[in-house]
Amino acid sequence: MADQREQDDHRSRQFPVREDMAFQHKVWRFERVGWYVLVLLMILTLLGLFSRGPLSSRDAQSADGSIGVEYERFHRNGSTNPLVIRLQGSPNAVLEVELDGDWLEGFDVQDVQPQPVRSAAAGQGLKVWVQADQQGRANLHLSLLGEGLGTYQSRIATPNGAEVSFNQFIFP
Amino acid sequence: MDSVLRAAAMYAVLMVLFKIAGRRSLAEITTFDFVLLMIIGEATQQALLGDDFSMTNAFMVIVTLIAIDVGFSLLKLRSSWVSRLIDGGPTVIVEDGRILQGRMRHARLVEADIMEAARSSQGIETLDQIKFAIIERNGKISVIAKE
Repeated sequence: MADQREQDDHRSRQFPVREDMAFQHKVWRFERVGWYVLVLLMILTLLGLFSRGPLSSRDAQSADGSIGVEYERFHRNGSTNPLVIRLQGSPNAVLEVELDGDWLEGFDVQDVQPQPVRSAAAGQGLKVWVQADQQGRANLHLSLLGEGLGTYQSRIATPNGAEVSFNQFIFP
Repeated sequence: MDSVLRAAAMYAVLMVLFKIAGRRSLAEITTFDFVLLMIIGEATQQALLGDDFSMTNAFMVIVTLIAIDVGFSLLKLRSSWVSRLIDGGPTVIVEDGRILQGRMRHARLVEADIMEAARSSQGIETLDQIKFAIIERNGKISVIAKE
């Protein structure tokens, strides 16, 4: 009986309207699968696929530990994200750090805190000098506005050979 | 260049999303549907215009949207396959006073939805008085009463 009813549901009527139930079932399946995809996208967004979340926020260290970088792997065009560079050197020294790679083409540096003692061009990127505190630490906070599209490569290095390289992706 | 790309991308994304939502979801049946539609419009506006508030940009976005829309309607005239893909087709959900349960479940409808449409359009009181109830392509339920 239930089987018969199911068959009746599948049968395409010609009156009062012309139906195509095979197609309609495809539409309903598309709606259902589409809903799963939407939920999956929501979960991925919560996890940070489109920046800000466990999938996106990264903390990288150089081999000797003198450079630490907190960055977002994923950015969105038009939104601002922080980049923190933690340097460790000798107490009260002025530390030199080079920010190299093609990242300046994809990002607009909106703000640098604290203000570097000096800055200069260096190849594709730039060099900055920052004043370290009594423990020899200096934190550099940059706020980056994503302006490009696609992958941009960054390399942060100090003259004593420590370096951190990473990629950042900007979504449209 | 990017005004055309933005508008085309948003058109495509919205089209797919509204197909997923189904024909009934945003057919302005409840007040909340209306509010939801306004919020979607608000969120879309940013993506369409970006940070360019020039008249040229607004003009090009509108031109693109209308061009795509007219293009699709021309395509629908030529091909019944495209027409069906975009607009869908009507589905019978009540036949001679009997609800087709499987179809109702797939269409995410309950009996109250049918009776609401029956009362408001035909003044029908019971299910037995309905000859046919049909979900139209635009998501509204039309009801045909028994003689």
